Amino acid sequence: MNTLQLCLLISSALFCIGLAGALSRTNTILVLLGIELMLNAANLNFIAFWRFNPAPLPATGVIFVIFAIAVAAAEAAVGLALVIAIYRHQQNIRLQDATRLKG
Amino acid sequence: MTLSVQHLWLIPALPLLAAAIGALTPSGGRTLAASAAIAAMVAAFVLSCCALVAALADPTANLTYNFTWFDLGTGAVRLGWLLNPLTAFMCVMVTFVGTLIFVFSLGYMHDDENFTRFFCFLSLFAAAMLGIVVSNSLLFLFVSWELVGLASYLLIGFWFQKPEAAAAAKKAFITTRIGDLGLLLGMVWLYHARGTLLFFDGGAGVLEPASLTALMVSTLSCGLAVSTAISLLIFCGAVGKSGQFPLHVWLPDAMEGPTPVSALIHAATMVAAGVFLIARIYPLMEADYHHHNLPIHALTVVAFIGAITALMGALIAVAQNDIKRVLAFSTVSQLGFMMLAIGVGSWVAAIFHLLTHAFFKALLFLGAGSVIHAAHHEQDMRKLGGLSGPMRVTFLTFAVGMMALAGVPFLFSGFWSKEAILHAAHAWDVSHIPLYFGLTAVVLTAFYMTRLVAETFFGKPRSHAAGLAHENPAVMTVPLVILAACAILLSLLAWPTPWLQHQLDPQAHTEPGGLSLMMLSIVLVALGLGAGWALYGRLLRTNASAPDPLAAALPRLHAFLAARMMFDELYAATFGRLSNGLAALADGLDRYVWGGLVNLVARLGQFGGLVNREADEDGLNAGFDAVSRKVRSVGQIYSRAQTGETHGYLRVIALGFVVLVLLVMLGGVR
Amino acid sequence: MSPDYLELLHALMPEAALVIGALVVLGFDLVVAKRDTLEERMNSSVTIGALSIVAALWHTVRAGAFGPAFGGVLNFDHLAVAARGGVLVLALLTLLLSAGTAHARHGAEYVAVILFATVGFTLMAAAQQLLLAFLALELASLSLYVLAGFDKSRPASAEAGLKYFLFGGMAAAFLLFGFSLIYGLTGSIELPQIAAQLAHQGMSPLLVVALVMVLVAFGFKASAAPFHLWAPDVYEGAPVSSAALIASASKLAGFTLFTRLLWPGFGIVAGIAPTAHVWAGWVPVVLLLSGSSLFIGNLGALAQTNVRRLLAYSAIAHAGALLLGVVVAGRAGPGPLFYYAATYGLATVGAFGVIGVVAKAGACQKITDLAGLHRRSPLLAGCLMIFILSLAGVPPLAGFFGKFAVFAAALQLGGLASPVGWLVFLAIAFSAVALYYYLVILKQALVTAPAADASRIAVPAPAAITLAAAALMLLLFGIFPSLLLGMF
Repeated sequence: MNTLQLCLLISSALFCIGLAGALSRTNTILVLLGIELMLNAANLNFIAFWRFNPAPLPATGVIFVIFAIAVAAAEAAVGLALVIAIYRHQQNIRLQDATRLKG
Repeated sequence: MTLSVQHLWLIPALPLLAAAIGALTPSGGRTLAASAAIAAMVAAFVLSCCALVAALADPTANLTYNFTWFDLGTGAVRLGWLLNPLTAFMCVMVTFVGTLIFVFSLGYMHDDENFTRFFCFLSLFAAAMLGIVVSNSLLFLFVSWELVGLASYLLIGFWFQKPEAAAAAKKAFITTRIGDLGLLLGMVWLYHARGTLLFFDGGAGVLEPASLTALMVSTLSCGLAVSTAISLLIFCGAVGKSGQFPLHVWLPDAMEGPTPVSALIHAATMVAAGVFLIARIYPLMEADYHHHNLPIHALTVVAFIGAITALMGALIAVAQNDIKRVLAFSTVSQLGFMMLAIGVGSWVAAIFHLLTHAFFKALLFLGAGSVIHAAHHEQDMRKLGGLSGPMRVTFLTFAVGMMALAGVPFLFSGFWSKEAILHAAHAWDVSHIPLYFGLTAVVLTAFYMTRLVAETFFGKPRSHAAGLAHENPAVMTVPLVILAACAILLSLLAWPTPWLQHQLDPQAHTEPGGLSLMMLSIVLVALGLGAGWALYGRLLRTNASAPDPLAAALPRLHAFLAARMMFDELYAATFGRLSNGLAALADGLDRYVWGGLVNLVARLGQFGGLVNREADEDGLNAGFDAVSRKVRSVGQIYSRAQTGETHGYLRVIALGFVVLVLLVMLGGVR
Repeated sequence: MSPDYLELLHALMPEAALVIGALVVLGFDLVVAKRDTLEERMNSSVTIGALSIVAALWHTVRAGAFGPAFGGVLNFDHLAVAARGGVLVLALLTLLLSAGTAHARHGAEYVAVILFATVGFTLMAAAQQLLLAFLALELASLSLYVLAGFDKSRPASAEAGLKYFLFGGMAAAFLLFGFSLIYGLTGSIELPQIAAQLAHQGMSPLLVVALVMVLVAFGFKASAAPFHLWAPDVYEGAPVSSAALIASASKLAGFTLFTRLLWPGFGIVAGIAPTAHVWAGWVPVVLLLSGSSLFIGNLGALAQTNVRRLLAYSAIAHAGALLLGVVVAGRAGPGPLFYYAATYGLATVGAFGVIGVVAKAGACQKITDLAGLHRRSPLLAGCLMIFILSLAGVPPLAGFFGKFAVFAAALQLGGLASPVGWLVFLAIAFSAVALYYYLVILKQALVTAPAADASRIAVPAPAAITLAAAALMLLLFGIFPSLLLGMF
């Protein structure tokens, strides 16, 4: 197993861990964290593909990652704001309790 | 003076303009709206006459004017106008009858608060109908066709305060739309097969020989020619619009609208549209006829549907008590006659009957409207009676219409057109069953019309309202007189020489009519009239609750017919059952598959309460009600998957992803 | 190729106008208008915002289609120009409608976020590179999350925002992971290079995973089943004009972006052959999504009593037809798809606009809240009739020709006896079902008598003009489809 494959394995594992977290945690912030983990798995992919590509590439992979991190940060900001908005109405941040809209 | 084909669009455009004026007029501007509508119809009538002159200059020519409407990536969509005798006769008829109905409405709707809106809708309706007639493109025809449906929805539901009216409007719109699905599908298929929807286009149109040959030669896997399949799909649209069996259920309910609307819908326009459509695409319908290896020919289906409708409508009409419903079912029956005529290969006879029927059925509806208006909206003929004295003009004109419809010989136009149809049915070499059905319907028609006249006009008034009735003002009776004159004078189209037939289709070889068949039908008409008089005319009903002699003799049959052959109930039982099964299936899927697999997605239990949700059921009667409720309950099962739980939603993403990847992988990666 | 920043600025004038407009809105509200009433502040913000959108629209139209810009990162072809024009018009309509309907608190921020979302849409319409596509998508999505949860006073709005955010965040993670795999497989993030690389690489299991991940995000953006679950909740809970934006401009931009991604980018691995029994490729997946959307959207709508949820299910059903348009775009070009998406957007914005105006005079959640609209406001009832009939696909309104164009093109692809043909058949059959639930709305608005306590609705002038304009456009584009289709 070469390093690229190892990296991909780790990133896939990271993606699955993030997914599992997002799908199972009741705390909204932890769900958010799971999603951030998934994004970072993708970032790891970009770096690995860029670093271990046989042909020398322009730094697209790295640039992509930098932008993606910025987007993730913005996403966290918006997400936390929405979590606060929910907290103001239901006095907790349990995702299961937010089921007003349905049908 | 003639109207060239480039300017044919003016004919539908004028009523459309009137509709726009009506829409923009505030409800106070009654005179403006009504005069705009009537002026537009009169102008359209004049233009139609000019168009008729132009078309008759060379009856064999199909004058067209085509233009590109828009480009659609792979090809342009073109529209056009078509002028031939068929177009011209239809235009003249629609505008003439339409004008009279508009004038009649002046009197009939005089006290209605939404007078301007009514004339706006009427004009829109007439414009859409004229659009169907002048179109040289199936696409434009379809657009106008849908507009007719929309306008009829608005008109039938005009008295929306009546819940039945609102329900009837909805039922009419939805039922005809079911047929329209077939039409739309046939149209899209035709476009796919030929790349154009123009009827005539200098050799490239869909109704021209090259296209017909191509459509006929290619066959489907089930052995049908493509032309047969497309024809039958388009015929579905006509079945819906023209109230043919089995989609006739909307037509009697459409009686809930104001009576001029009934006249417009049942006589001149909407129901005629289906017959007109089939006559228009007759070359396509007929394309497979000489191809003997096919399992079925399109025209055969048309003939049998028409025959069944003709007989069924006449049977049901025998047992109805509401004047307008009798007329409605007689319309169903007469439309069946027209379809029968097309099916047995004589679209000319169908159009002839369509024209004469338009006049005498408009006359009958307006006459019925006159009676209803005078008798303070009493429509039950058992409670009328004795109106021949106070309502002289109405009575005489109504009698003319009745005799035309019943096919009283020689003097009345209905006789000649009916004769043409029976003659064509007799000459058909496939089967004589339609002829026998038709002959039976002839007896029944004479019978129920005699009953209608006897019960309404003879004897003594059987209710207070009928006793107070008196003749209506001239604005309502003059149209009646004009229509009655037409119902007689139109005989000249067929006698002494079959002029109309010759103009519509100069190639058609009209043999001298079989005298024996004519004698037979005269005997049958006499039989019907005599039976009707014997049962209802001789022993006049004395009070409204006296039993019906026919019901006394054949109680069960009468009850069956009075319940309109239980069609609504039948639909409730069958389609309702079907969708019940569907719902059970979906429920099973829900519980075992969806539930088991996606138990992690959603906890379903909490939403049982949704199932009993009731909403908006006031309209449709038993059949539609049941079907729609069942379909809706299927919907509720789907909407229950929407648990409101975010985790469930997120899990569906993951699950959907896995399933899709597996599907693609299992499908085989090259 | 050296990046030419002047050229970039020239190409992105519309975006610049929007961003400047948003900043001016915020600054004006902060500095100049802080003593005005909330109503006045909202109105001045909307005015400035509308002006900046008009400026952007003007730039877009004036520049026209001039091909790739900035080293191929952006591609201003006919589709891009049409879609940019389309989203700008839809955003403008939404903005004008929000003037009379949105809650006035923090009006300036609301307008500014709408403008930022619009920047995201216009960039989505032109992006031809994975990074820019991702950034544009996220800019639009993040703004929309904020808009959905903007009405802090209502728990429903916060919940809608949160659900939308979590669903969208998950979809974005899938999208980014898919992009990273594509980057690894082809070594590039530029669509032309990716296409060239795929041409001699062909299909591989990893590419399947990557494609499906991209399609998950597409399904989310398009609200296609089974990735539709957020839509009904968000449509119901979000402020009306936010829902209108999500339903219209965001859809148009999303379909443009993903059509560009799928056809020029991954067209090689489309696995065309709607007739052959080959599953490898994304076309079968899109067809699957299309079929399930038609099914779930139409049936789900039947059970609704909430008018906004009904519109959401109708959106899902329309997504099914639009996805068919995406498949068709490979052969027939994006014309039918664009026509459908744009006119659908118009009708939806209009319908939400009517709901917004009615909601201002009282609640407008249940379908029965629309009862007697023809008495309470004939203008609203008339406009609503045009919007709903267009959604139902009744000619001669634009909705019918969108359907006709897409279906006709779809049948050119494979005839009736192919999966595409069956989907066309399904879609046409479902249009009868659809008519039923649309008529339920119309019946309330046009036929039923108003509730006893219902008063006449005063329609604010900007909203009246906007609604009438949208209705007129639907009629106009229906009668002259070449106005839109002629752009390609």
